[in-house]
Amino acid sequence: MISSYTLILGIALLIIGFYAMLTRKNLIKMVIGFSIADTGTHIIIVSLGYLRGKTAPIIDQAVSAVNAVQKVVDPIPSALVLTAIVIGLAVTAVMLSFIVEMYRKNKSLSIDDYQELKW
Amino acid sequence: MIRNMAVLLAVIGLVAMFLPMVTDFQERENLNELAADYVEGSINDLNTPNVVTSVIVTYRGLDTLGEVTVLFLATVGVGLLLKGRKEDMIRISSSELLGTTSSVLVAMIMILGIYIFTHGHLTPGGGFQGGVVIASGFLLMLLSNVNVKMNHSIMHFVESFSGVAYVGIGVAGLVLAIGFLNPGILPLGRFGELFSAGAIPVIYSLIGLKVGSELTSILVTMGGEK
Amino acid sequence: MVSPIYILILSLAVGFLLSILDKGGRRLSLTAFYGVLTFNVAVVADWLYRFVFHHVPNLVINTAGFKAPISINLELGVTEAFVLLFANLTGLLAAVYLFRKFKESQVSSLILYLLLIMGVNGLVMTRDLFNMFVFLEILSISTFALTALTRNLKTLSSGFKYMIAGGVASTFFLLGVVFVYYFTGSLNLGFLDAGQFTGVSLIALFMLSVAVFIELKPFPANGWVLDVYQSVDSGIVSVIAVVNSAAVGFVFYKIMPLMPQNFLTVFGIAGVVTFFFSNMMGLKQENAKRLLGYSSVGQMGLLMAVLVFTANAPTNIRYLIIGGLFFNHLFSKAGLFWLAGIVKQEKTRDWTVLRNNKLLLVLFGLFIFALSGLPPFPGFWAKWEFVKVLVDAKMFFVLTSVLVGSLFELIFLFRWFTITVKEDNSELEPMASPHGSMVLPASVFGLLGSVAAFAVMKYFYGFGWLQVLPIGAVLFFYLTDFLPAKVKGFLSLGAIAGYGYCIYPLIESNIQLFFGAIFIVGSAVNLISTLNRKNQSRGFYGFLLMMIFSFGNLLIATSYLEFFLSWEFMTIASFLLILRGRKAQKASLMYMIFSTAGAYLLMAGFGFAPAPASASALILAIESVNLPLISIIVLAIGFMIKSGSLGVHIWLPEAHAEAESDVSSFISAILLKAGVFGLMMVAISYVSHAPSFDVFYWIGWIGVLTALAGAFMASFQEDAKRLLAYSSMSQVGYIVAALALITHLGWVSALYLVFNHMMFKSALFIAVAGIYYRTHTRTMYKMGGLISKMPWTFMTVLMCIIAVSGVPPLSGFGGKWLTYTAFITKGWYLQAGVLFFASGVSFLYLYRLIHTIFLGQLKYEHQEVREAPVWFIIPQFIFLGAIMAISMFPSLIIKPLNVIAMRYFDSSIQIEGLTIISDLGYWNGNLIMYVTMGVFAVPFILLLLVKGKTQKVKQFNIVYSAERPESPQTTHVAHNMYAHYRKALGSWTVPRVEAFWSGVSEWAHAFGGFFRRVYTGNGQTYVLYIIMYIVVIYAVMGVQ
Repeated sequence: MISSYTLILGIALLIIGFYAMLTRKNLIKMVIGFSIADTGTHIIIVSLGYLRGKTAPIIDQAVSAVNAVQKVVDPIPSALVLTAIVIGLAVTAVMLSFIVEMYRKNKSLSIDDYQELKW
Repeated sequence: MIRNMAVLLAVIGLVAMFLPMVTDFQERENLNELAADYVEGSINDLNTPNVVTSVIVTYRGLDTLGEVTVLFLATVGVGLLLKGRKEDMIRISSSELLGTTSSVLVAMIMILGIYIFTHGHLTPGGGFQGGVVIASGFLLMLLSNVNVKMNHSIMHFVESFSGVAYVGIGVAGLVLAIGFLNPGILPLGRFGELFSAGAIPVIYSLIGLKVGSELTSILVTMGGEK
Repeated sequence: MVSPIYILILSLAVGFLLSILDKGGRRLSLTAFYGVLTFNVAVVADWLYRFVFHHVPNLVINTAGFKAPISINLELGVTEAFVLLFANLTGLLAAVYLFRKFKESQVSSLILYLLLIMGVNGLVMTRDLFNMFVFLEILSISTFALTALTRNLKTLSSGFKYMIAGGVASTFFLLGVVFVYYFTGSLNLGFLDAGQFTGVSLIALFMLSVAVFIELKPFPANGWVLDVYQSVDSGIVSVIAVVNSAAVGFVFYKIMPLMPQNFLTVFGIAGVVTFFFSNMMGLKQENAKRLLGYSSVGQMGLLMAVLVFTANAPTNIRYLIIGGLFFNHLFSKAGLFWLAGIVKQEKTRDWTVLRNNKLLLVLFGLFIFALSGLPPFPGFWAKWEFVKVLVDAKMFFVLTSVLVGSLFELIFLFRWFTITVKEDNSELEPMASPHGSMVLPASVFGLLGSVAAFAVMKYFYGFGWLQVLPIGAVLFFYLTDFLPAKVKGFLSLGAIAGYGYCIYPLIESNIQLFFGAIFIVGSAVNLISTLNRKNQSRGFYGFLLMMIFSFGNLLIATSYLEFFLSWEFMTIASFLLILRGRKAQKASLMYMIFSTAGAYLLMAGFGFAPAPASASALILAIESVNLPLISIIVLAIGFMIKSGSLGVHIWLPEAHAEAESDVSSFISAILLKAGVFGLMMVAISYVSHAPSFDVFYWIGWIGVLTALAGAFMASFQEDAKRLLAYSSMSQVGYIVAALALITHLGWVSALYLVFNHMMFKSALFIAVAGIYYRTHTRTMYKMGGLISKMPWTFMTVLMCIIAVSGVPPLSGFGGKWLTYTAFITKGWYLQAGVLFFASGVSFLYLYRLIHTIFLGQLKYEHQEVREAPVWFIIPQFIFLGAIMAISMFPSLIIKPLNVIAMRYFDSSIQIEGLTIISDLGYWNGNLIMYVTMGVFAVPFILLLLVKGKTQKVKQFNIVYSAERPESPQTTHVAHNMYAHYRKALGSWTVPRVEAFWSGVSEWAHAFGGFFRRVYTGNGQTYVLYIIMYIVVIYAVMGVQ
């Protein structure tokens, strides 16, 4: 049950992020929008890996090695989301450095001021 | 106006696209075959309590190597873009209180980071988490003390060394064990101990070092030269 | 036998180490860098060699020592190796191209570049969806960062747009991947298939595939990439346009098997739409790199369409199409981008500076030709086969869009090419001599493209040396270009003789022999006039021989493809020859555009045609082929474009007039006949398999109207060569009309006219060439009285116009007699009437020609003019001799023609000695000759008797009624000679056809200009397009 709420949350964040990318003129806010969408995606990934009433896939006191398969949630989405987070971070970092340089060259943070190339 | 309508339509379209995903969503009850194989394999073949770690480091090790590469590329890219940038920023030295407290904290943060990545195969966490913690320690240093200077060459060295060592262990797996990135080059040890699970903790530690140094490097570059 | 996993390993290790290595000097890091890139190429090449020649099974690499799906596996098969070889090779060459940049910039750029190439390798080999995402991100991030290699506002802002767009696409990709995992429990392509996706899970698949598709830059969600292409350093752009696209395209190829048919169809159509619109928008583009961007985007669209629509084609054909287009795009686009970086001129108009560097100019031409899909480059074969596949699948919408889009592409590419070769460049600073490292990569690709071209010809189609000969001729004369023109001219004559000797045994029938005489012997005689060329006349004989050999190859072609190949070679060669003319830039472009439009029609027409059953030459084998109606129509239009029929004739006067004088005669006398030859081929099939709709009735009318319109237009020309050009159009109109009769007599007269026209029009054009050579003008009213200076030339012109006009006693009379008889026996009275009228009109222009040039007063500036050089006189008199011979003894030619036509019809004439008897009467050329001579002799003697009593009329012997003429020439009777007829014709003389075609051109450009406004330059708008695009595609596919 809980994972359907987090799924909805993730999708909502995703769409909010896209909405921000479509409507905010400020470059940094666009990147923030991207980050929000990215986070939404991560939440979606985790939600998809959740199994009802199960726990983290780590063998310890709570989960014994014998019946681990019946006790744990899907480890794959957890692994994927880690990679996805790091990649999202990397993309965001590069985007932000572009913005820094763009601002230095043009002294503007509005996307509307960067359309000299067209047609 | 047209634009707003278009944005509205786009958002409605997206909602419509995702709606069936939500309405048809069913929480899963059981692990699928692949995931079950991972859980069993992690316990039986790799001797690794943390299944996520064995997926990350071994089964999907190529992803992880790629992921480290992505982060590395971001570091390099940010460096290419921002290197030699000098900003006219006014920097005020921190108070002694801040400086002293932070240096105590930094040490503890570092130790925590190292703990997290060396115990990645046993407990929640791992190289990435540990690396981020370490980088946060450096961030604290950068923020709290304007005079601190990061040694670029040491950072580059750690970055390069850990990366090459990671690849090297992977190749060792290919040559000595049964495949690229296979951790079987080291003994599997006893289940649940620190020195167990073959090369997994070594790889994860290298990842931790690499992530830590790379993130720090990004932070330093973004902070600009003084 | 190195495992390809070492490509990834070595790249990563060296990538991580480079910054340390760099501390030991840039030389060290550069060595390691190029070493790894070379290693990659070597490993992949080795594997490709094994796959192709030793048929080793696909190599599967399981990482971590576990089998898929437990672990991530990589696979290398022949397709992967093919893509990777060229991706890595391009990567290496682009790195060589960037050598100087890499030497000077930070070591970061080396790292980014190396790992970019690594990402491509991983992306192509991996079989795991999430792993694809990782490699895709490696590729993207390194590309993003590399766009900032040259850091200025434009590169930064375009890089940012690129990142935002890429970010949206990869978010969808990631979502697609995890949802696929959620629904199927697998991430590995080996464990997924289309059957697993139904209902909601299709949405997952949709997200995955649409994300990849967005990365392939579909119109209109691709504005960001155009900005990148325009602004970013050429070396990097070549990698983005070629290497990245190849890798992402391959990902699409890998996930295609998962997609249901409706996905594929929509993507395929979206690809076609992209191809069409990109090329249309390219029409308006003046910035060279952006133009290449439009073309790249279009090519990727085409590649998507090809991937989708060739799914049911035989495997080897499918690979040829996909591989051909891929490789063609790869080497030509990379090459052009590299050239763009060397030329350093933004505007296509300023590329004229390339003329300083012959090697680069040749490469430029080669890439432009390849990109336009001309033979022998791989794109040509791919396009040919693709058209066939589309026709077989009855996808006419796709077919039309692809062909029209290709035509747009050809138009802007060739406009660029002709400008570069011809436009004045005196105001531009000459291009700095480029560094060797920048020229080398383009040269390698030029060479490789050519080698691939011949490999396809030899190994895929098994063509022999004869088909390659036209190119061989160009190469030979390229190498011996330093020789003086005369030597090369004689060499060419020898080569033609040798060629004739070689193909003679291959000739199986009289009709081939007849056209062989036109094509080969006619060309050889015409070639004599070129011996007058001075100096080296660089690049002339190669293309001339290419054209002549292609003519010959048309005769002996045994398949549609062979025929079409020779046809295209002929077009290329003639285009280049026309382009040599001093002001021929526009004319040659128009010629190329019309020819290519015709060629595309032929391609489609042959696509519809069932393959001939017999292995003999096509012109014979076609007899047993039942061409469907659509094929007949399309082919006929295609061939009639080449023969300059009314409506599609507007290239003809320009090309004839602006080509060099000695080239015009080839075009008119021989090239137009190639169109007739083709039309004849269609007609031959039609004879035995006439469809219900009488196509040739209408073709007949077109021919008749062409004859009339051509004659009228010829009458109004001031320019001698344009006059002859329109006259040619008119004469070929007769031929087409006669051919369209589809009767024995009709064909005899058509072929007779072909022969006659070849001779007198060659002689006339060479005569005019001689006059131009001496007087430096083609404007007739600026001449006059040349009879006294150039009596031999006058003789030729006089004889020829008698031969044209069809008055006794010369050959033209026989032609007219045969033609009218043929029309009347067929019952086409109205047509015959119109033709009769047209030949009346032709007197007007013929009179104008001879009167204005030779009669009247000699102009002051022509006092010193001498007779034309002997090299012009010789061929004229050879043709004259032949005309006299067949005039005296018409059965010499009628007999063989009778035999040719009897192959298809019962004979309708009898030949008794020197007399030809038809149903309507008889013709004895010999007798007529004597009678006419007698008729002429009497007044001639009379004139001689009254000789001393003549009074010369001075040229300006006119009363001006106190008015001073603005320009004395305008009072010359020859100026605007037939103004009264023009007046009488009223609005009929308005050049409607020209107006129509320029309207078409304007509309196409206006549409291009309109559509490209979607690219506002605003990064946010581009994101909106992408999301809208995804939503629209989602709706169109009806995923749920």
